[in-house]
Formats: sequence, structure tokens, C-alpha cells
Amino acid sequence: MSEERETRLLMISPSSRLTPEMLARTIHSMGEDVALKETCYGCLIEGRREVVRRITDNLRETQGNSVFSKRRAYRLGDPVRCRAQHGTRPGFSQLEDEWQALPYIEAGLDAIDNGEGYKEIPVKQRLPVDKLIEICEVKR
Amino acid sequence: MTIKIAQLSCGTEYSSVQYEIDKAARSVGAKVVYPDVSAADIEIAVERFGFRPRSNQLKLMIARAVQLADGNYAADAVFITTCFRCAEAALVRNEVRRFIQENTNLPVVTYSFTERLKASQLLTRMEALVTIVTRKELLARERQAGITAGLDSGSSTTKAVIMQDNKIIGKAWTPSHNVVESATAVLNEALAQAGLEYKDIDAMGTTGYGRFTLGEHFKDKVKLVQEELTVNSKGAVWLADRQRGEATIIDIGGMDNKAITVRDGIPDNFTMGGVCAGASGRFLEMTSRRLKIDVTQLGALADKGDWRNAKMNSYCSVFGIQDLVTTLGDGKSFEDVAAAACHSVAEQVYEQQLQEIDVRHPIIQVGGTSLISGLVTAIGDVLGEKPIVPENSQFIGAVGGALLSSGFL
Amino acid sequence: MKVFIDPPNSLILFDLVERFGHEPLSTMAALQERIDNIEVDMPPMNVTLDDVVKGLKYAGIEVPSGVRGRLAVWGPLIEEADAAIIVDDPPFSFGCVGCERSELMVKYLVKRRNIPALRLPYPGNEEEGKAFVGKIKEFLEGLQ
Repeated sequence: MSEERETRLLMISPSSRLTPEMLARTIHSMGEDVALKETCYGCLIEGRREVVRRITDNLRETQGNSVFSKRRAYRLGDPVRCRAQHGTRPGFSQLEDEWQALPYIEAGLDAIDNGEGYKEIPVKQRLPVDKLIEICEVKR
Repeated sequence: MTIKIAQLSCGTEYSSVQYEIDKAARSVGAKVVYPDVSAADIEIAVERFGFRPRSNQLKLMIARAVQLADGNYAADAVFITTCFRCAEAALVRNEVRRFIQENTNLPVVTYSFTERLKASQLLTRMEALVTIVTRKELLARERQAGITAGLDSGSSTTKAVIMQDNKIIGKAWTPSHNVVESATAVLNEALAQAGLEYKDIDAMGTTGYGRFTLGEHFKDKVKLVQEELTVNSKGAVWLADRQRGEATIIDIGGMDNKAITVRDGIPDNFTMGGVCAGASGRFLEMTSRRLKIDVTQLGALADKGDWRNAKMNSYCSVFGIQDLVTTLGDGKSFEDVAAAACHSVAEQVYEQQLQEIDVRHPIIQVGGTSLISGLVTAIGDVLGEKPIVPENSQFIGAVGGALLSSGFL
Repeated sequence: MKVFIDPPNSLILFDLVERFGHEPLSTMAALQERIDNIEVDMPPMNVTLDDVVKGLKYAGIEVPSGVRGRLAVWGPLIEEADAAIIVDDPPFSFGCVGCERSELMVKYLVKRRNIPALRLPYPGNEEEGKAFVGKIKEFLEGLQ
């Protein structure tokens, strides 16, 4: 079964104008055999692995760089995972955090599509101790 | 009504113990819940709490505690649990426990687990949390009424008490063997002392390891089958006449130890330990056997010795006895060895149990081991305050059972 | 190629590895296998005592059970991996990767495997996002 079934979480970048409802409609219109559940951040889909892959590939083609996805271990509607059953599970706050960072990733993907390069981000160095001593002595 | 126990934890799912925790909660009519937290809450909560752990799951634990403290999430009790041997988690666990107690009125229990944890080990603790929530009125009972009996089926001894009009009129104990036979024997003896017959009993309460078996066996009389944490604390405050105000109850049992804090006779935090017999009454029994004396003589012997002359400190009764043999081989006196054995148990209780609660005064020491004067002295030495040992202190469970069961009349 | 991602449950890393044509090795897949195994009933994750004992391969008995259980899930993924992408200090590593000690061990195990590995900081703005995605793309394209 695990070879076959794939459950996927699709998340829309907060900078996108796409809504979960629009995303759901887009997927329905592909006419594929998947179960779909609309959520506040996007959708959950479940079906045979190759079908789910076809859908994610298609979304990457057609929706620009605004929809991200990952596999989910639990089945759609699994009560173990359900927030209403016992409150949020640990992964919830992680998803919230990743959701907030999606516009940066989207910008990165767009830059690649536009043939832009990227700037090296300098690593913040700590002040050497002798430099600090120097500063202290000047200030004295 | 399902009792909601808020779980604040780290490592339960990856240690294969979450299932056992859920099972223990379910079996006492409770449900484990996780206070809702959003990513933004976490940073704010950790900042406010002031302890910044490296592990994110511990930050989440703090944020959940803050949600409970602020009343943003409704729960009836709190279960705080982390992996055994994790120093970072142990620090957070204890400070979160303190935070919950300072900011809420919820009963709390803390626990550090290994991957071998089974639901049965948590059962008594979970049951006590639920009892405190659901039986507040019953636990507030201060006077016994009618003719009631209490049976305490412990791992070492079985005790029975008959009470009438708020007085003990019969009591008996015996070493535990067959649960029902031991209980029947002590019950008959206590009834004979009271000049009563079984049919005269209005209600009965059972506690201790054999409580369910006894509840079933004496079902025509039993009105209360309850874990020993809440029952013992009621028995202790009744015996010590400390029904009002605060106290800490220390009960060093044959197999596990309990430290319970109470406010107006109702427990609000407790720890129950006993991974190792080195910190229990069983170790003192083994010591007595090695010294070829009866355990009842150990206390007086210990009072004549000085523990400093015979260092003995071990988490485990096997190593403890090895220490003892070595010490005796070195030619130390029996008195010093007896004192050292008592001191070792007191230290273990201090290190393992009393670190997880905020000790409140006075300290009431109860249970069969409270009759070993050397152990009471040792607890006093370690805590810097001599515990109160009420009369009939070995009968707390039975007294608690008799007192609480009268609430059903 | 099979690419181990750290945090192993990251949406962003999972998506990028797949987008650039490789197979991400994730916690989700490892857990799905356990959850779909109907012979075991240990919800929520079906991580069993056996798993925690298997974790002894990576860390001794004096190490907390939660660390060993986590390593029992991720260790085999690291062993299977042809490459790895590690994000340092992500703000989102709750839950599955909530334990700092396990995290340190995961990074060390990747290092010991001697496979191509990319370590990079979590992006905090658009510029950093461009560098983040650009480096990941270069790394993944460079894998033979």
C-alpha cells in the first residue's frame, strides 16, 4: 500500500493571489482520480503515487512558483493528525513558519526563471578580540 | 464528562510511549490534549518565560504552558513529561511545572520516561489527576460518619481500619500475601477489636495495589475504590489534624515512594517514584535481614549510630546491599550501618522525589516506614526540618478509605 | 539521486529537491511506511519499542529514548542518501526535529557518510531567498 498511496500537502505562497478554492478547482479540472480536501493554506490531495505526481508536475508548470508541496505520512482526514481532536500537533507551527518564508523561495525560483543570478550573502563575522580591545582603548 | 489532561512533553512519540500515555488516560476516563499554539506565540512565550532552551520542542512545551496559564486553552489537569536522562528537558520540565502551579489551579504531575514505559505505570498518577478534578467535593470531606471500613492493600503490608463517628475503633495489619486472604484477615481482626460484625459496616473504601480486586470481592460494602495518592493524603491530614492550610506528605512505601503537597487537605501536586528499590522500605527490610534484626528494631538501632561513619549511597538495592556488606566487612558498627541505610533512603527520596515538588510545611511522614525512627530522623536531617509522624501513621491508606467512603452514606 | 534533507520534514526543501529533479528522503516517507503497516498499532506514529532499540546503533543506552527513536527513523535515510542538503538554524524545526541533540547527531552522521552535502543558512529576505534557491539548484544540478 505504501508503494501506492501518496498523500500530499499543497501550500500556496502568501504572496500569491491564488486561493485554496481556485487551486482546488484547478486540480478538479485536471480530471484525475484523487481525493481532495481544501484547507486554509491550500489543499490536501490523496491518490495513487503516479497520479499525485502528475498533478504536482502540472501545477509547477501552470501555477508559476507559488504552489509548494510535500508528502504527508498520514492519510487524508486521519483523526490522529486532526487539530480538532486534541489541539495542534508540533508540525503545525513549523508549517506556519515555512509558509511565511515561501515568498522568498518564490522570489528565488522566479529569479532563476528570469535568468537572474544571485548575490553571495556575506557571513556575519564576529569581531576579533584584539579589535575589540583596540576600540575599548580608544574610547577610554 | 471526559477530563482533559493537557500534555506538555518532549520525545514521547519518538520513544514509542505516546500510545501508552493515551491508553492510561483513556482507562481513567480522560483524554490527552495539546494546547493550541501558533508559531508567533512560541517566541513571545519563550521570551516571557525567560528560559530559552536549544531544543524547539521544549520551546513549544513552554508556549503551551503559557497558553494554559493565560486561560486561552481549557484543560482540567496537566501532565508534564520528558525523556529520562535529558538534562535540558529535566530543567525545563521542572520550571514549567513551577510555572503552571504559580499561574493556574490545575493539578499537575510530572514524569520522566524511558522507552519501556507502560500504561500501567502511569495509571495511578492519571487516576489521581482525574480524582482531584472529579471528586473535589468528596476530597473536601473532613469528618468520618457512620460505621465505615478502609482497606489498604499495599505491596508489603495489608491494613484495615474500622471507624465510627470520626474515631478509629479497630485496626490491624499483616504482611501482604494473597490479596483477598490478607485483607479478610485484617478486616476480621479490626472488626473484632471494634466489637462489630461485617454486616454492621455501612460503607467500605479500598486503596493500594489490590484495590480493584478487593473492590470486587467486597462489592456489597465497597463504595470507593481509589488510588493511594489521594486516599493517603486524606488519611494523613486527618491523622495529623492538618485539614486546613498546606502540608507535604512523605510516604516511603515498600515498593514506591510518594511525595504529595496538599492545600486544605486536597492534593495539588504529587510525585511517585520507585524505579529502584534502593530508595524504598524494601531496602530497609533487606538491611534488617542482613543485620539479623527485625525491621521494627532498625530505627532505634539507627538512632544510636552515625551515618557519617559508614558511607552508603546507592540508587539500587543490590548495590546498596553490596555497600552494606563491604561496610560491615570493614568492621563498622551495626548502629552506624543502620543509620547509614536510613540516611541513604532519605537522600534518595530527597534527590528523586522532592526535587519535583515544592516542599510545603509542615512535613508529615506516614506509612509503615514512618515507624522506623531512624528514617524519620534521616528525613529530618536531609530536609532540615523534623517531620510530624502522626499516631497510627501506618494506617493512612485505610483511614483515608474509611473517611472518604463515609462520604457516600 | 536520493537527497537527504535536514530538517527532514521541511516543505521547502522537499519541494525544491523534487522540483530540481531528484528524490527527497524525508521523515514523511519513513513515517508513512510505519503508519501503513497495519500489523503495528501504536498511534500516532507507529514508532515502536523495536525502533527505539534499533536506535542503539547510533547512540548508547545512556542517551535519552527520544534521541534514539529519532535516529532510528532518520539514520536509515542518511545511510540511503547519495547527497544531503542541511539548513542551519531554521526557525521551523518543531515536532519531528524538536530535539537539538538529535539534530547535532544527524549533521554528524551526514558528515561521516562523506557524501556531497550542502549547508546553508535559512533565508530571511528576498535576496537571501534568491541565494538559497540558486545554491540549491547549482548543488542539485552538479550531482552526478
